[in-house]
Amino acid sequence: MVLRDSQGAPPRDVVELSGVTKVHPGGVRALDGVTVGFGRGSFTAVMGPSGSGKSTLLHCAAGLDRPTSGQVVLAGRDIAMLREPKLTAVRRAHVGFVFQSFNLVDSLSLWDNVLLPQQLAGTRPDRKWAAELLTRVGLAGREKARPGQLSGGQQQRVALARALAARPEVIFGDEPTGALDLSTGRAVLALLRRFVDEFGATIVMVTHDPAAAAWADRVVFLADGRIAGELHTPTAEQVAARMMELTR
Amino acid sequence: MITKLATASVKHRLGSFVGTFLTAFLAVALIAGSGLLLWSVLTAGPGADRFTRADAMVAGDRSIVLTTSTNKGDKVKTKTKEERLTGAQPLPRETVDTVASTPGVTETVADYAFPVALDLEGKPVRAPDAATVAHGWSSAALTPYPLRAGTAPGHGEVALQGEFGVHLGQTVRLTSRTGVRELRVAGVVGGDVPGQAAVFVADSQVVELSGLAGPTAVAVQASADGITALRERVGDAATIHIGADKVSADLPGAVPDYIGAISIFGFVLGITGFAAVFVLTGTVSLAVRQRLRELALLRTAGATPRQLRRVLRLEITLVTLTAALPALPAGIVVAELVATRFRELGAVPPQFTVSYNAVVLIAAVLLGLLVTVFATGLAARRAVRIAPTQALRETVTAGRVGWLPRVLVAAVLVVGAVAVLSLVPLGGPFGMGMGFISCSLLLCAVAALGPIVVGALTAVLSRLAAVTGVLGRVAGAMTRAESRRVVGVAIPLTLMFAINATMLLNGDILTEVTADQQAARTAPATVRVAATNAPGLPLATAAEIGSLPGVTGSAATVGTRVVVDEGGKPEDYAAQGLRTNGEHALDLGVTDGELTIKDDTVAVSRPLAETRGWRVGDRPVFWLADGTRVELTVVGIYANWRGFGDLVLPAELVAAHDPRGLVTALYLRGAPDLTRWPTLAATDVRDPRAGTVDVQNQQAAWELMVVISLGFTAIAVVNTFAIATSARRREFADLRLAGATARQLHRMLGRETLITVAVALVLGCVISGAVVGTFSVAQDGQWRLFAEPLRYLALLGGVGLLGVVAGAVPARLVVRRRSLPAVKLG
Repeated sequence: MVLRDSQGAPPRDVVELSGVTKVHPGGVRALDGVTVGFGRGSFTAVMGPSGSGKSTLLHCAAGLDRPTSGQVVLAGRDIAMLREPKLTAVRRAHVGFVFQSFNLVDSLSLWDNVLLPQQLAGTRPDRKWAAELLTRVGLAGREKARPGQLSGGQQQRVALARALAARPEVIFGDEPTGALDLSTGRAVLALLRRFVDEFGATIVMVTHDPAAAAWADRVVFLADGRIAGELHTPTAEQVAARMMELTR
Repeated sequence: MITKLATASVKHRLGSFVGTFLTAFLAVALIAGSGLLLWSVLTAGPGADRFTRADAMVAGDRSIVLTTSTNKGDKVKTKTKEERLTGAQPLPRETVDTVASTPGVTETVADYAFPVALDLEGKPVRAPDAATVAHGWSSAALTPYPLRAGTAPGHGEVALQGEFGVHLGQTVRLTSRTGVRELRVAGVVGGDVPGQAAVFVADSQVVELSGLAGPTAVAVQASADGITALRERVGDAATIHIGADKVSADLPGAVPDYIGAISIFGFVLGITGFAAVFVLTGTVSLAVRQRLRELALLRTAGATPRQLRRVLRLEITLVTLTAALPALPAGIVVAELVATRFRELGAVPPQFTVSYNAVVLIAAVLLGLLVTVFATGLAARRAVRIAPTQALRETVTAGRVGWLPRVLVAAVLVVGAVAVLSLVPLGGPFGMGMGFISCSLLLCAVAALGPIVVGALTAVLSRLAAVTGVLGRVAGAMTRAESRRVVGVAIPLTLMFAINATMLLNGDILTEVTADQQAARTAPATVRVAATNAPGLPLATAAEIGSLPGVTGSAATVGTRVVVDEGGKPEDYAAQGLRTNGEHALDLGVTDGELTIKDDTVAVSRPLAETRGWRVGDRPVFWLADGTRVELTVVGIYANWRGFGDLVLPAELVAAHDPRGLVTALYLRGAPDLTRWPTLAATDVRDPRAGTVDVQNQQAAWELMVVISLGFTAIAVVNTFAIATSARRREFADLRLAGATARQLHRMLGRETLITVAVALVLGCVISGAVVGTFSVAQDGQWRLFAEPLRYLALLGGVGLLGVVAGAVPARLVVRRRSLPAVKLG
């Protein structure tokens, strides 16, 4: 167990949403009383048709957005009504991100990108761990390179290393393979899976791809801002079938 | 389709065009404004016609015309150059007789016009906004000036225009070069010639008062045949003026003079034009680079580079023309405001008005359009070749120009600047202009070298910033990685500092050097005597004071202008008539020969002697204020010429040929008793205000121009920062997602701005230092970075502060203190 020691922690989920509603300005109800939890050391995929509110769910759970009502408990603390800049402090202490568009800082080297969140938090970066992570994602020796010099798959692997560098409680992925081709996407998913299996990382990933969802332990389905069931240890076919039902 | 795309783009993305719009607006407004001013002074009417009742005017030369012929093999090329005189040449007796006896000429009036000063018991009397000019009573009928009250002036009497506010029966004192006289006001006249206030004396007294050998012009009533006959009979002896040209026969000093204003406005047009081109180019290319992503997306949609260029060109044309609409009225307002202020300062004649000219306005718009379209083309050249696949990538970087062409261009520009600085004598009249030109060349060189110079500087400065912690380190890394952006933002700041510092500091240095020379010149004197009731005192009075007991030495100076033949081009120079007595009261810093100015001798300033190649013993030709040609022997060459003049002639010669001909300043050694002359005031020669009113006015006009230029460049700086910052939303979002709080982001940007501002100021100081230093050496051999340290530091601090604020405000608008990170960004 290399990630955060879970001994002594309460036996609850790492992230718990209860009755979360989000009404966007303009009156669109993106989330409508969602209650869902994500267990420690689990790999969850959130799926649903376009406009079902899966990205909003992720943003609310990660503290990137504030729900209109309801509770979001992250690492034992309700962050639903927290304001900036406290929200950022909580995020960078407990959450890692992987986005579809990588979102690395172009002007910094890979190495600086990986260490940036911890440096911004004012904590002493764990350089050994960061180096190991870069090795794990297959980018050892490229520390001085800039994101612009890498391929999309490589950039996403850097983003993964960065997400893990601060040993967060949970990693949120928003379509992490969305901008990648099939094989590089698969490589990224395999890495995510390994982080869960080997380091006990907790991952919540939004996707629309049944094949990607099949890498998860559990798939939560969302439709019209509500939970529409879930699947455990799914196969791609099962997921696809469920999606067909939801979009019908 | 392309047109539709361009209009739609401008319509829907108004925000991103605001910066370009604003810059184009300002640039066009300022070019239009200064263009109008220059146009107005260049085409300013010759003044009001005092001779409306005359059919024709016969007058002597009002300008010196030199004709040179060069034999170029098979054809002879003839060049004619002209310089206006400051005085009027009196007509000889024979010419007046010839005119009067010409058949067809029914009536002639000998017109005498000469400047005088009036006072009532020592208090100067003037009509508002007008030069006081005296005439013989017979001239009153030419305008006409009808008698409103009293009678025509007899011997010892005057008739005045009502505007003087003097009543019948009062006694006024009239000062002219012939002396001071008390005259009784016998009549008050009406009539009005704008810019002139008329004083009439008896015809019998006019020669005695004016000291003129003959009339300055002869007004003629004649038939058309009579005028033709007149032309034949007079020939080269005088010029016949008819119609609107009659005004040329008036006294030059009474007609408005725009020479000073032309050079100031020309300079202003040059500076605003350069700054506008520079700033517009920068803004436009920044705006194009900001849209690289969008361009790449258009490429994926199948647009060819050609089509993209057309879209960009159309967009910028649309934006520039829209900006020009409000810019033209704004330009007119600027011109009017400057004109008003200049009239108050006396930098332009009081009757100066801005004349609106459509061609000037259209030219301003066209220039603006040309610059924006050209700059777009330049910035788009590489941007539009973007590979469509790059649209899918997150970072889109435009291709870069290699360092070799940059270095080559910069080298040419630097060589040009060095050539200007080292080959043109900066100490002469072109010093200021040449200083500005070399400053512009160096700025262009820095802009061309941009990424290289700025990259090197940021490399050093960003590492300094890294010492301040992680935020400084990130900020440093960002400035190093994005040296292009740093260039884009730093160059306008550099421009702002360098241009304004050069203008301001060169002006300061000139003032200081002039003050130094003035002090050195007047050091031997104890007091400076000047008239309080008139521009000067008659030479005779000066002689009386010079021979008072207690005065051991005196130097009377009579200010005038003298025309010099500069290789076929007549050129007008400031000069002084000088009469010395006893011990030396003035030290002109003679470097060669001596300074005993006698009948036909002259002393020449060192720069003029050098440029003309004159040595002691030479006999160059001069034309005095009234056009009289004289040959004088050079007896001395002197160094302390600033604020004095380039030529020193015998005072009697000057007084006889300059219509003003008064002693403007009398320097004395000793302690004279001046109680006999209540209208004379003695001041300590060390009083810095002594005799520098003109200089102060010029300085004020100059500073007004610096203020306008500062304002323009400051807005350009703010604008550039805003464009550059708003283009970085994505980057800020990425940083926020990486865990930076809004506050951290602001602090990081603050450090980045500090690095940028420091880079800009270092470059600005280097440029202004090179130009100002060389300029200063050229003035008096002393190297200076500035004349007034406070002013230099204030400018440095002010520009720096502006940069820091301009960097901080947009960052705070783009990323608000309590905002959530922006996740959804296109």
